[in-house]
Order: sequence, then structure tokens, then C-alpha cells
Amino acid sequence: MTAKIIDGNAVARHVRAQWKARVEALKVRGTTPGLAVIIVGDNPGSKVYVRNKVKACAEVGLHSETHEFGADTVEQPVIQRIEELNRDPRIHGILVQLPLPSHLEVRRLLGAISIEKDVDGFHLYNVGGLVVGENNIFPPCTPYGVQCLLEYENIPIEGQNVVVVGASNIVGKPMALMLMAKDATVSICHIKTRDLAQYTILADILIVAAGCPGLITAPMVKRGAAVIDVGINRLPDGRLSGDVDFESVKLKASYITPVPGGVGPMTVTMLICNTVAAAERNATKHAEKIPVAV
Amino acid sequence: MAGTLLDGAAIAHQVYSQLKERIRELHVRGVQPGLAAMLIGENSASRIYIRNKAQACHDAGVYSEVHRLPADCSDEQVYATLNHLNADPRIHGILLQLPLPPQLDSERLLQAIAPAKDVDGFNWVNLGAMVAGRTLLAPCTPLGVMTMLDHARVPIEGRSAVVVGRSAIVGKPLALMLIARGATVSVCSSKTPDLRQYTSFADILIVAVGSPGLVDGSMIKQGAVVIDVGINRLPGGKLVGDVDFASASRVASRITPVPGGVGRMTVAMLIANTVTAAERSVGIT
Repeated sequence: MTAKIIDGNAVARHVRAQWKARVEALKVRGTTPGLAVIIVGDNPGSKVYVRNKVKACAEVGLHSETHEFGADTVEQPVIQRIEELNRDPRIHGILVQLPLPSHLEVRRLLGAISIEKDVDGFHLYNVGGLVVGENNIFPPCTPYGVQCLLEYENIPIEGQNVVVVGASNIVGKPMALMLMAKDATVSICHIKTRDLAQYTILADILIVAAGCPGLITAPMVKRGAAVIDVGINRLPDGRLSGDVDFESVKLKASYITPVPGGVGPMTVTMLICNTVAAAERNATKHAEKIPVAV
Repeated sequence: MAGTLLDGAAIAHQVYSQLKERIRELHVRGVQPGLAAMLIGENSASRIYIRNKAQACHDAGVYSEVHRLPADCSDEQVYATLNHLNADPRIHGILLQLPLPPQLDSERLLQAIAPAKDVDGFNWVNLGAMVAGRTLLAPCTPLGVMTMLDHARVPIEGRSAVVVGRSAIVGKPLALMLIARGATVSVCSSKTPDLRQYTSFADILIVAVGSPGLVDGSMIKQGAVVIDVGINRLPGGKLVGDVDFASASRVASRITPVPGGVGRMTVAMLIANTVTAAERSVGIT
């Protein structure tokens, strides 16, 4: 048996086409969803990411704008810009491109973003909503993309054994919480796990986000498992590789994502989805009786 | 082998004596920790809880006050009181006693408590901080479980922990706290088809489902530490946990009784959170 290779690019195209229809519906009602991206400094990786986000916005019909600050900027003007964008009715989503120069405190900048415009889902309020299992928040884009791939392929989640390898704040832990909310039994493994194979061999769905090339080999994978590889590692010879030994694991799994071309294309897509959802919520919003104390 | 009891009353007693030191230190700085509780309506269990919490404050040297509103009050009335308490410098901790009457939006009102004063740890900002691995104020029951593990010097890093139950106030916060301490954590629930498959490899097994006798000795690894968060009243009136104590205590190395286990920790953790919030208000971290 060879696994079905999940084509992240194709799923991303399909999802973007669906959401494009929602953007058209919003435009009929006079709203164009808008995303503002804040970029500090000139990290070349960040510039590529921001360019891809801007391109994806254009493709789906969103307004986007980029706000650039020099690498030596202090916190105050960035926060002031975030506050202006919080009030700007044309902007429904705000994201601060990470990483930031080391003299800026990430938490303070992310915490300044209005919870209604936090489309990266990194504000602690939105993260806490994941713990409660609240639907009306912004899930962080990478785990949201993984969930979307599983749903698109009709891979059952309820009652399944899920193992998440990697306990990061932006992928592993939110992913685990999202799948708990879908009634999976979830194990979270990480660098301190003594016998990784003991867990991975149980997994009906194995999600790997460890940043460690070749970490998962075929003997560690249950026959018929769905294997989602979030890792993206640059090998010494320049090739990109995930955390899963693709060639051997694809012979044992029922589904597998390639790297590149698996989870990667979904992340930007989910950012677009969150921004459109923010605009939709804003268009139907009633005055809040009880302001949130954040 | 018979498991050693993890005695909640004894550990809570130690917690209170450690808190006395911290409270004394605050008094030296001219600060008395203060807790405000909101009690809405006439739920008799809630009134008993509030009385117990006020008594615990009094015994520990923490100022407390209770704000009562009628059962038919509105969200806006509750919000007005919370907002007033958010701004009151004498108050370091605010708790909204649940359950609330059905016309009120509990989840939303919990978000109106300032995160720095949210001593029940239910505000999403505080829950989100737990995901980010830098807990500020943790919900009292999971904090009580972690405190019991620490008092009993149970090693956590690198151990297999299994949490049965994935509620937002016990199971999921506990899972996050155990991950932050380096445990490999599995979270099971009533939807787990084969619970035994997980419980049988747990070095630390925590059960918080509300299902009497769900876990028995045959499902437990020899030498495991077993924490029973469940508290169920049987038809005859007897209180039991989710773990079959008689069979489990023969296999476990340490085990909590019900009653007298985790339940005894919860109020102590509320006081601990109030003291922590008061310390933060004057820059002690």
C-alpha cells in the first residue's frame, strides 16, 4: 500500500476559491476585507513571507497594506501604529511579522493588537479561547491549516488516537487543543519524551512539528496512519526536508503530506480565512454589552 | 504493595503555613491581600462555598468581602460590580461564584475580570498564558494537583502523564502545566475508545471525569502516582472519586483519597492565587 499524498497546494487553491466567494458577498455589502502587515527590520525570510501574504490577499480579493519600520525602531511608534490600525475601519486583520529584532518585546506588541483583529491568533485572549474550545476566535494559522487538510481529506478525528510531536506555543500545543475539541484522544510529545516510538506507533493521526529532519521513520508509524509533516528543514545540500522520512513512511501510511507542498501552502491560506472571518464578524457585530478586560 | 496516601488536608496545611510567611512579608510592605467574591442568587451550595472561602481568608490573614446581587440581575449589573472591583486597589483577587443564573453570560462575564485579579484563572488571557508556557494565575484545581505532586516530590520531567477528562477548568489546564514541566501528556476523555491502553502506561495518572469507579487497579501501571479529581455522590450518600480506591491503592505508589484529597487543596489555591496577585501588584514576582 502506498499513502495518498496530500497536495497542500491543491487544497489551498480549493479553500481560497471557497473564501473568494465569501469575499465577493462582503463586497456586495460594501466591505472589502483588509489586512495590515507590520514588518520591522529587513530579515530576508520575513520579507519573503510578507510578499507571499500580500500576493495571497490580492488573489482572493482582499485589501492589504504593509507597514515597514527600521530595524532600530523603538517600541512606541510601532504600538502607536497598531493602535491606529485597531481603529481603522478598512482594516480587519493585523499581524506583526515575526521574528522581531531582539530589543522589541514580542508579547507587548502582540498584546497591543485588538482581539477582534488578531488574525494570527497569537493574542493570549485568542489562545485562551482555544483552551475553552470557543469557536468564535482566530485559530493560529498553521494548526488551523492542518485541521483544514484533515477535514478536506475526510480523515476522521473523533475518537481517534492523535499524537502531536513538538510542543511549541504556535503549533504543537494549539494543535493539540483544537483536536481535543474535535473529540480526539491527544498525546503531546516533545524533546523530553523518553520513548517517542511508544507514542507514535499508537497514532491514527500523527502530526510532526519538531524541526528535526528524519525524526520519524517507518517503524515508528502505525500501518494506515495519516501522517502530517509540519517540519520544514533546510538540509546541508540545500534541499528542503520535513521531520518525516517521506520515502519509507509513505509505504506504511494511508495519507502523508510532502515537504514542500503539504502544510506550508495552507498557512497563508488560513491567514486569509481568518481575515475574511474578521470582516464578516465585524459586519454583523452588535454593540458589546460587556467589554473584555485585556 | 499499598500506595501511600497523598493527604490533601496535610498538604493544604503546609501550603497555608508557607502562605503565612508571604502574607507577613506583604504586611511589612503595608499591603493586605484582598479577595472580593461575587455571589448571585440563592444557590445554597454556592453560599456554602463562599462561606468556606471567606473563612479561609480570615484564617490566613487575607481581607475578604462578598458582593451579592439578586438572582434576576442583568449582565450589566454584574459587569458594573466587576468593573468597580477591577479598579479597587484594596482588592487583588476577584471571583465570580459559578454557576450563574441562566440569563447571565458566564463566559463573557469571566472575561470582564481584569486578568491580574482573576484568581480563579478562568479569564482567557490567563488560560492563553498557560499555553504560552508562562502561567500567571492558574485555575485552582489543576494548581492544587500540581502542588500535591510537588509536595510529594513526584518527578514530572520525562514522565508519562495521562489526564482523563479534558474540561477547560481541570483537564486541559493540567495537561498544559504538565507539558510545561516536561511530562509527555496524553489527554483522554469519554470519547476515548480504549482508555486502558493509555492508563496502563501512565507514571502519573490524573482522573477528572465525574464517573465513579471509571479507573480500577487493573488499568494502572505498578507504582504509578494516581490523582483522583472526581467527586461523586453515590445513591446511598457516600462520596467517591473516579478511581476505585480499594483496587487502585494496591497498585499505585501514591494515591489521593476522596474525600480528603484534591478537594482539600482548591480553596488553599484560591488564597495562594490571591497572595500571588497581591505580590505582583507591588512588584514581587
